[in-house]
Amino acid sequence: MRDEVKQVSNKAQAAATSAQPYRRHIVGLPLQRSLFVQAARAATRIGLPGLSSELDFPARLDENGDLFLDRSQVAALSKALPSWFTPETLELMHARHAAACDALVDASENGARAAVSLNGASARKSSEDLANRMALVLAYGILSKFVPDVLLRALVDAGDVEPLPFPETSAGADLMQNTFALYQACCVLEYTPQRLQREWPRVSPEVFRLVGEFCKRQTGFGSLAWDSPGYEDPNYVIRLLHSAFDEVNAEQVRRRLSFAKRPVVARPTIDAPTKIAALRCVLGFWLDFLERETWYVRRAFYVGMIPLLKQMATEYRRQIPTFQSADLLFLDVRELIGGIVDPAVIETRRRRYMGNTEYLSLHGVEPSRLATVLGSS
Amino acid sequence: MSAENSTAVYSGLGAAPGRASGKAYVIRNSEDVMAIPAGSILVLRILHPHLAPLLPRVAGLVVEEGAILQHATTLARECGIPAAVGIQDARNLIEDGELVDVDGYTGKVTKRHVD
Repeated sequence: MRDEVKQVSNKAQAAATSAQPYRRHIVGLPLQRSLFVQAARAATRIGLPGLSSELDFPARLDENGDLFLDRSQVAALSKALPSWFTPETLELMHARHAAACDALVDASENGARAAVSLNGASARKSSEDLANRMALVLAYGILSKFVPDVLLRALVDAGDVEPLPFPETSAGADLMQNTFALYQACCVLEYTPQRLQREWPRVSPEVFRLVGEFCKRQTGFGSLAWDSPGYEDPNYVIRLLHSAFDEVNAEQVRRRLSFAKRPVVARPTIDAPTKIAALRCVLGFWLDFLERETWYVRRAFYVGMIPLLKQMATEYRRQIPTFQSADLLFLDVRELIGGIVDPAVIETRRRRYMGNTEYLSLHGVEPSRLATVLGSS
Repeated sequence: MSAENSTAVYSGLGAAPGRASGKAYVIRNSEDVMAIPAGSILVLRILHPHLAPLLPRVAGLVVEEGAILQHATTLARECGIPAAVGIQDARNLIEDGELVDVDGYTGKVTKRHVD
């Protein structure tokens, strides 16, 4: 893999002049799209000390949810970063990255716990805090498209010959194991995926509890787009059980999972302040983050933001009886926090969103999906 | 009787070691992930972690995303699934059902046309 690192660099530069979107249709809801405005200029946003803001690159989403990055600036930042890597700056980078992730998880859980006791104004304040933390993690997500490769290249250049510091078991492997365990538990109770699909939600209380608890635990896994169905939705999970394990025997699954039990690669702690040790530590964290970056933001929405939105919607319904909770998804963050609600604007945006059939099809968004989302927590 | 009459070779980066052959299955939207044939070579823009439970039924991966370190790298290496990444426009170059060889060491993807 190390020999390939230089090729990656060449490819990135070859693509530097492209004016095409970096990603198409990644996010469609105005509320989620507006988080990217806050996440723009990702390197500056995460506060890399001493790094010139001129090296940062603008990131923006257009109204179709297409992500645009200035690729020549991405290439320039990729080239400049290694000269910035010292044990001290890497330690700071690692600490800030870990703190941003932890803070988002805490804010998500706190949002869920506190929401019911908040009035509209307090809910708006909590949503501002949560949105800021989401935007920060999104900034790391934008950087994750190339920073891990830059770190790998720096490790190679520094003469490191150890295996890469992949996580011992990744979030994806854990998810595979847990999903298979759910499948097996349901089968023991004589609920094959086909039967679950036919009978859900009119299944035995034990199966209902099993699936419900699984969904609650795994909420956050799914597409970055909040409106796309994911593991928070029992119907999605049941379809997935059918798709994943139909015609696949337990031995095949165990064989894949046995690969996942890799020998632990010593990942130096930041206490060993050599450049290689620091690079390995930071790269190890990014490799783990790659598996969780979407989870952080999606879980924050489902666990933390939705209860807050419901509180706000209750207040708005006193003023506008026809107001629906899902209307809040058509505000941007600034409007949400400021309590600026204009039904005509919401309706215009809703029509535009519902008219973007390419996006809706890509993400499997049914017409009733948004009402389901706001009723799901 | 069938015979191989041409091939097309695409070069990317080897992200997870091993070699695999099979029929291509192209993921174009979220619905496609619910119908992956067992033993197929998955062709997709990027492999997200939430698709991990589907990997036991997959023989190999062809990924458009170019970064050598990405979601697909960790998952495919963990599960022992050969993967080539950085195959630009793979979802347009390869069609469902075409025979594909994936070399996860070199990143080479070979599409075999069979009459």
